[in-house]
Amino acid sequence: MRHSISVEGFAFRLRPIADDDAAFVLQLRSDSNLNEFLHPSSGRLADQLDWFQAYYQRPGDYYFVLERQSTSEREGLVAIYDIDEHQGIGEWGRWILRPGSLGAVECAWLIYTAAFGEIGLTELYCRTVADNRSVVSFHESCGLGAGKRLKGHFTLGSRVFDAIEHRIDRALWAERSPRLKKLAQITARKIRG
Amino acid sequence: MNQLELEAKVLSVLNSVLHLDLQSGCRPSRQDLPNWDSLKHIEIIFGLEEELGLEFTEDELAGMDSLEKIMAAAQGKYAA
Repeated sequence: MRHSISVEGFAFRLRPIADDDAAFVLQLRSDSNLNEFLHPSSGRLADQLDWFQAYYQRPGDYYFVLERQSTSEREGLVAIYDIDEHQGIGEWGRWILRPGSLGAVECAWLIYTAAFGEIGLTELYCRTVADNRSVVSFHESCGLGAGKRLKGHFTLGSRVFDAIEHRIDRALWAERSPRLKKLAQITARKIRG
Repeated sequence: MNQLELEAKVLSVLNSVLHLDLQSGCRPSRQDLPNWDSLKHIEIIFGLEEELGLEFTEDELAGMDSLEKIMAAAQGKYAA
């Protein structure tokens, strides 16, 4: 949906996605190093803009661009969606960063901050293709435990994959946040030079 | 610092962060070790800077994704 949430971090910020970002989305999603575990897309700008139009109308869907504070250069994408307003639970995903980006830790910190702060959720979960082992490991490294396996959860083209679901609520976030914040801060010092 | 001493220090950091028991002579890389994820990569780099007494630039960080590349980057710093 159209939203106005921006979250400032240490070297990066999250801001709402807009039509001007369509080419960037296509660039990331068509990168063969990044798209092994993504739903196939046509790669056409017009289709991406049509997807945006539907997204703008969809409630409970917050799509963000991760960009550098110093240059506004785009580094990645991330979203919170499928929000159950009654229970205050949502999913985060559509997470993709340009190759070589050092924004992963800060991006995770920012999306949790947006979820538990600005959006006001009480719990957040993330489902990762089980074969995407480095991302599964990332969530474990964030302190979210080993996760729960969901058999045959994803169908990508003709391929079916298990998912690993990691969940975090406000109490766990309060415990895990300081370490992520510290790592994001020391990375930011490096980025800022 | 000679090559073997450097390798030992780098392996020590990798083993500490990744909870592995890598031995001299092995050639670990991020591609082969799924638990060498984006968060662990940051911890490895800052562990290396502390252990080796070096500072790496942002441009160097992303490329330091294997023992060999880490050692090459460190040797380049020592030689400079």
